[in-house]
Amino acid sequence: MNDQGRQILQMLGEGKITADEAERLIDALGRRRPEPEPGAAPSGGPRPKYLRVVVKSTEDPVGPPTLVNIRVPLQLLRAGVRLASLIPPQALTKVNEGLEQSGVPIDLTQLKPQDLEELIEHLGEVSVDIDDPTATVQVFCE
Amino acid sequence: MIPQLVTVGYRRSGGRRRRIHLPVLPVALLLSPLLLLAVLGGLVACAVFRIAPMGALRGTGSVLWALPGTFFEVEEGSMAFLVSVR
Repeated sequence: MNDQGRQILQMLGEGKITADEAERLIDALGRRRPEPEPGAAPSGGPRPKYLRVVVKSTEDPVGPPTLVNIRVPLQLLRAGVRLASLIPPQALTKVNEGLEQSGVPIDLTQLKPQDLEELIEHLGEVSVDIDDPTATVQVFCE
Repeated sequence: MIPQLVTVGYRRSGGRRRRIHLPVLPVALLLSPLLLLAVLGGLVACAVFRIAPMGALRGTGSVLWALPGTFFEVEEGSMAFLVSVR
């Protein structure tokens, strides 16, 4: 994401512009930039450093909106994965049992650090934008 | 780079905003005897749970090194809370 896009999101986060205005501005930015060729290699721009989550909820129409603004360094996710790989197998088995009892059949022993590393590596291309009448949620890397 | 400054801010329902800036290095030096005890406790826990102590130290170190840039802010009504690590 370039500086202009970040500035638009910042203004949205600060409540200076509405979600509709932000959408129009981002559309205008997108029109100015030519679309990359399909199958073309990603541009060699700077690698994203942070995962950003911005939530703005206006469920209460009278009161001020609820804002959540989180920025997590991607390096922290990598370090967390490395630390999680130290969890002993017997603890993982117990966690698996607990997850299965809760209806989440995920086998954590199958999660390999190198797979998660690859996942984090590609997280830079992820962008989630949910626009609800009462809330906007944005997840992106910057 | 290890974290240098942690900022904790909050605003209560009265609307009064407060920010506390914690310089990490001086605070860590001040609490170094307790930190030493915590490291020793961690090493004992590693031995009990059969975790490689060097791996655990390296992992904890890499988490600490990756913390700068973390930012967390929540605002709800007149209440607000933020944590920033630089």
